[in-house]
Amino acid sequence: MTALIPDESALTAGTTVRPGRRYGFFTDTTLCIGCKACEVACKEWNALPADIPGLTGMSYDNTVDLSADTWRHVLFVEKIAPQAGGERVTTMPPFQSNWLMMSDVCKHCSPAPCLEACPTGSLFRTEFDTVVVQQDICNGCGYCVPACPFGVVDLNLSDGKAHKCTLCYDRLKGGLEPACAKSCPTDSIQFGEIDDLTERARGRVEELRGLGRDDAYLYGAPGTPGATGGIERLNAFFLLTDRPEVYNLPEHPTRPAERFAPGMAAGLAAVAGLTLAAALLFGRNGGGDGGRP
Amino acid sequence: MRGPTVTDDAAIGYYGVPPVKASPFDWKIAAYVQIGGVAGAAQVLSAVAAAAGGRRARGVVRHGRWMALAGAVLGPPFLIADLKTPTRWYNMLRIARPTSPMSVGSYILTGFGAFSALAALPAGRLSDAAQVPAALLGAGMATYTASLLSATSSPFWAEAPRSLAVQFACSSVAGAAAALSLAEQAAGRPGTAATLDAITAAAAAGELAASIASGHDHKEPAVAGALALGVAVPLACHAANRLSRRPSRTLSVIGALAALAGGALLRHAVIQAGNRSTERPRDTFRLTRPPEPARLPPRR
Ligand code: SF4
Ligand code: SF4
Repeated sequence: MTALIPDESALTAGTTVRPGRRYGFFTDTTLCIGCKACEVACKEWNALPADIPGLTGMSYDNTVDLSADTWRHVLFVEKIAPQAGGERVTTMPPFQSNWLMMSDVCKHCSPAPCLEACPTGSLFRTEFDTVVVQQDICNGCGYCVPACPFGVVDLNLSDGKAHKCTLCYDRLKGGLEPACAKSCPTDSIQFGEIDDLTERARGRVEELRGLGRDDAYLYGAPGTPGATGGIERLNAFFLLTDRPEVYNLPEHPTRPAERFAPGMAAGLAAVAGLTLAAALLFGRNGGGDGGRP
Repeated sequence: MRGPTVTDDAAIGYYGVPPVKASPFDWKIAAYVQIGGVAGAAQVLSAVAAAAGGRRARGVVRHGRWMALAGAVLGPPFLIADLKTPTRWYNMLRIARPTSPMSVGSYILTGFGAFSALAALPAGRLSDAAQVPAALLGAGMATYTASLLSATSSPFWAEAPRSLAVQFACSSVAGAAAALSLAEQAAGRPGTAATLDAITAAAAAGELAASIASGHDHKEPAVAGALALGVAVPLACHAANRLSRRPSRTLSVIGALAALAGGALLRHAVIQAGNRSTERPRDTFRLTRPPEPARLPPRR
């Protein structure tokens, strides 16, 4: 596949896309204005239908959640609502007017719990270090859905397959920047090589702290919240200014596969113990008149 | 200004939107887990009876082998029916992925089915030799489904991997011993049936201990009901039979039926409870609380 402009991403994102390198998103939530251009661009490029045609009453968020048909989702955290304990917020910091907005997406985790759970190999790691569902292999077992610690991947019951963000695998192959990042007017979503992005993101945290935003931190970069419990890093990582739960993100997600061995060991030990008990009972009773005086 | 914290019930999360998604698993998966678990444990008990039971346990050996094969044949259709693209069921064996309990389980099931078919052949060297691997894989059949559930991000399953596995394993053994006991009663061999009832009771006690140890601090009535049926009734029936001078066949049959029904109900209740637990953000955020206080920047 050739793009109309070779290496177009060099012009739009300042990076060239080459197989064998690691690519991802850095989403700087302090720059998000909630325009949802990313949601629209994603739906357009990937030909995804709308999920909810009505209004939800959840602030300006009528998308609600990531799903099989929604691969970018802009959250609107209204911090002016009464807080816990009945306290009403009466002051607003001079930043984002007390709104938190965040464009959520598949984190393209490394290692990726969905991929580790998939029994068919439909979910695979691409040459760009992204995580993609191969639609011609998925049999709709649905195991990736509860495996994902971030509630991203989902089944579409009309075609019986799992779907999620592909980090625009087709566009990357053609040398294009992913649609959401390209459409983002404030560069809240930045596409690039992971190492470049991480460096840029660390610099941004320093810059914000220098401006007095000492609550800015990275979520998903190596060694930060989100990249925990056996998940080394999220290839789509974020800059946040409040606790992860406020953005519906787990503070300390864990790699589900690490629970496999301990469970098996305990269960097999129980079977072994009962086998021994059964052997004693059969041996003592000779399989015969057990329980009879 | 205060932001929401993990302890603030009302304010946690994002408009109550579940932070993780529920599995699509329904009663068909529960049925498979029960059938596969009982079949696996039946092969284990049959092997034990063959090794330690002597002549009088021959009925148990034979019935156990048949039950194992029957389960290996009857279980998979439920799994396939639960796939959203069932025509691609064979992709389950397309790769081997050691991190995926579903992939590992597919091979356990395949091997268990193959060896159980050989073990069910007329008594002879081949069937005896095949029973050893069949029983080892049968132990896996009794257990892996619990680990499959725990290796997810659904709080109810993920927070107790060990005790869930012990519960499923014990329930499988209890169910298999119960089914074999029913067969022995039908064949007019109350002696071996009593031995099997004792095994059911031991397994039920293990199940009870594991469920107490699991420490689920949100009560799931259906799970408790399944335990009452599958644990309390068989234990009570067995205790009554031990104490009385004339063990009652009726009590033995009731205990066995309760163990089987309770096991099936337990699988269904646990699967439903896991799916429902994803809808409670607080449970997810409790599961994903950092082990030590996080080094998040100061709150303003
Ligand atoms: S966020 Fe979920 S769907 Fe995306 S790579 Fe990670 S585990 Fe998979
Ligand atoms: S639903 Fe598809 S992508 Fe998800 S685990 Fe199953 S086979 Fe893999």
